[in-house]
Amino acid sequence: MEQQNNTLSVPAAIIIAGLLIAGSVIYTSGGSTLNTNAQPTEPTIPEQNETASSVKLIDSTDHILGDPNAQVKVIEFSDLECPFCKTFHSTMKEIMREYGDTSEVAWVYRHFPLDSIHSKARPEAEAAECAAELGGNEAFWLYVDRVFEITPSNNGLDLNQLPIIAEYINLDKNEFEKCLADNDHAKRIADDLQDGINSGGRGTPWSIIVAPNGKTFTLNGAQPLSTVKQIIELALKEK
Amino acid sequence: MYFLVFKEVFKNIKYIFIALVIFFITFSISVTLFNWGFIFDVFQSDSASLLEKLKIFFSLYESINTNFTKTAAVYTLLINILLGINVAMIIYYIRQRRGGLNNKATATGLGGVVAGLFGIGCAACGSFLLSSFLVLFGAGGLIAYLPFSGEEFGFLGVGLLLLSLHLTTKKIKEPLVC
Repeated sequence: MEQQNNTLSVPAAIIIAGLLIAGSVIYTSGGSTLNTNAQPTEPTIPEQNETASSVKLIDSTDHILGDPNAQVKVIEFSDLECPFCKTFHSTMKEIMREYGDTSEVAWVYRHFPLDSIHSKARPEAEAAECAAELGGNEAFWLYVDRVFEITPSNNGLDLNQLPIIAEYINLDKNEFEKCLADNDHAKRIADDLQDGINSGGRGTPWSIIVAPNGKTFTLNGAQPLSTVKQIIELALKEK
Repeated sequence: MYFLVFKEVFKNIKYIFIALVIFFITFSISVTLFNWGFIFDVFQSDSASLLEKLKIFFSLYESINTNFTKTAAVYTLLINILLGINVAMIIYYIRQRRGGLNNKATATGLGGVVAGLFGIGCAACGSFLLSSFLVLFGAGGLIAYLPFSGEEFGFLGVGLLLLSLHLTTKKIKEPLVC
């Protein structure tokens, strides 16, 4: 009898472990709580299941690189202190070099600061919005490029660098510091984060590829250039 | 002892095959774990041939370079290799003894796999399995307090699988007695 119990215990343990793991994955992809420590604007989990199609429509308030009317849009939710976002940023720049000029792809940047592991990501996101306020869309992208260029990631950037970066991209440092102090962009960032959660994002980078016919493909993490290129080629055929 | 036992088990190509299959399956799970929805969408699309869909699927394997820290990539590969070897050796042991499982070694190996799985994913971007598991119990914030942000589970996984391998090797080496 004891032998029988022993023989059964291992498969049972395997099943329990499997269920726990499967449960975690399903729970995460279907409706879990995003782990953001106490913040001024806590994101909420929608009651219905999140889907990529519930992502906010692209509009004039978005930060878009490339032709806004491009056939395929890549909406990326990103955290400026996430090392994988830094990698994916380079991947997307390569994509834009290849598909941007021909209006095949437009890149939309939205904020997804993971406060619990990168407390500096939100102030950096606000700084990028200040760059946009003072210098427009081009300044926003220059600012984000520069942050990713100099941050070692994982909260490694000294926040005193934020006005220096603004100066580096030819923005008025005093105006920039005033904008940061005013904290006017907090809601925009909170809205972006909520939008990311609504669309199913749980980590960064979280990307939604929108095909010409509206079909969406979601990509989690810093996937390699070859994957992104292939999915764009596939999306371009979805007409 | 280890070399002799490994030689004994893997001189039969069947066990090399088993180890490779298990490695392939678990490695595939490791690199695609958080993109099953994406894979589903790709395979549902009518705009690509099966070959193109498979090419997209296999391109995700490259994410071991882009979506894992160097440490995570190393322990993920180690866990999958060790798991393949473990399973092959446990099957060899069962067949050789014609008996039940070596419970101690199997349970240790299982612990290694579970611990390793918890460490899989990108520790910095908040989407790895441990954070999902902690969130399940309302303890997501704990991740910030772990010195290696959850990667310690990967190290633990490697340790447990090595221990399981050691226990299985010892069992295989034991003389056949009643």
